[in-house]
Amino acid sequence: MPFTQWWDFTLPALGRAQYQAVFLANGQTYFGRYYDRIGAFAKIEDVYYLQQTQGSDPTAAPDTKIVRRGRELHGPASRMLVPKSAILFVEDLTDASPIAGFMKQEGR
Amino acid sequence: MSLYDPERDRVRIAGRWLRWSVRWVLAPALLGVFVSANVDLRSMPFFGSERLSAVLFLDGQAYFGHLDDSGESGILVLRDVYYFKNSSGGASGLPVGLVRRGTEAHEPADGMRINRDRILAVERVGLTSPVALAIQVEREITRTSPAPLSLNQISLAGGGALATQRVAAEHVVQRAWSAAADQLGKLNELVLPVSKTEAQAITQKALADLRTVRRNALAAIASATGMSPADAEAYVRATDPQLEGQTFANEPGVLLAPDLDAVVNRAAQLYAQVGDAAAKQLTQPRTPSPTPSPTPTASPRP
Repeated sequence: MPFTQWWDFTLPALGRAQYQAVFLANGQTYFGRYYDRIGAFAKIEDVYYLQQTQGSDPTAAPDTKIVRRGRELHGPASRMLVPKSAILFVEDLTDASPIAGFMKQEGR
Repeated sequence: MSLYDPERDRVRIAGRWLRWSVRWVLAPALLGVFVSANVDLRSMPFFGSERLSAVLFLDGQAYFGHLDDSGESGILVLRDVYYFKNSSGGASGLPVGLVRRGTEAHEPADGMRINRDRILAVERVGLTSPVALAIQVEREITRTSPAPLSLNQISLAGGGALATQRVAAEHVVQRAWSAAADQLGKLNELVLPVSKTEAQAITQKALADLRTVRRNALAAIASATGMSPADAEAYVRATDPQLEGQTFANEPGVLLAPDLDAVVNRAAQLYAQVGDAAAKQLTQPRTPSPTPSPTPTASPRP
């Protein structure tokens, strides 16, 4: 369906969790509120991702932190459109998930 | 004779009202609610400010521009395209620099057709983000004027953003100058095969060349930001002494407009060339010029 940026017809999803993990074809994972849209693109709102930074000790495991998308050089808006062809799978995050807890706290 | 008048039947009247209300009030209201909930007005053509999109590819590349997804064939068209190039270790202090698509060796025309299956995500670029500001300044530099009627009107940088970028470019030029001058100073601390006087002369000549490069870079920045030749000359005369001695070492990097980025990169290249030439002169022993040694020549025997 063309003009995907103009409209935002999302399919209702009842009984799902507040946040989802979206695993993408390039190995990246985004966390946020996932919406299945009509057409070729799905939507993720309030996107977070994991960032790994290697400390000064190269033998130590890298530090992992969760980062809210939006502070990058292009200052992206909170809505991200992802082609469904680039999605491997989507999972609900449980209420006990530390990532969901962090996002809930940040979203307040 | 029947007293029943269907026109005065309350149930029928209520039914007529109900049908009228459903058709002309409830249905449009529901349609309005549905449309307002599902149509992004900020994304509609002619509405609001410019809509810059970021198209992230599966291979990690990112392109920025005006996205046209009106086609049905799974091909998206991106116009007025910019992208990141790797510039880690460069003078700007940022790991990336911005490039305007179209300046490559094959000089592609505007309008990049992208296979949707190779796209990872599409995002809206914030109009106050460094990328958007660099693009707006680039349009100002290239004297791009907004079309009188456009589906997605472009936005230009104000004088403030242009001045910010100009100052940032000056600082990058000076930061690279300081690095090159420091390098020369460190070389002079080594045990060199040339005499102290020679080393000093070589260093002074190199520093003078570095200053010439800096002045030329400032002139190029002035020209890019639209100054007249006379204003550019005055600007170079005023700015060059102010930069002398500054390092701007802890200043955060600014994403420069592609044309300004090209100026500072060229300056950094020339600094490196001057530094390399001086290093070569300082580290190579001066050998006396070879004099032709008399070689025995076979004299014809009498």
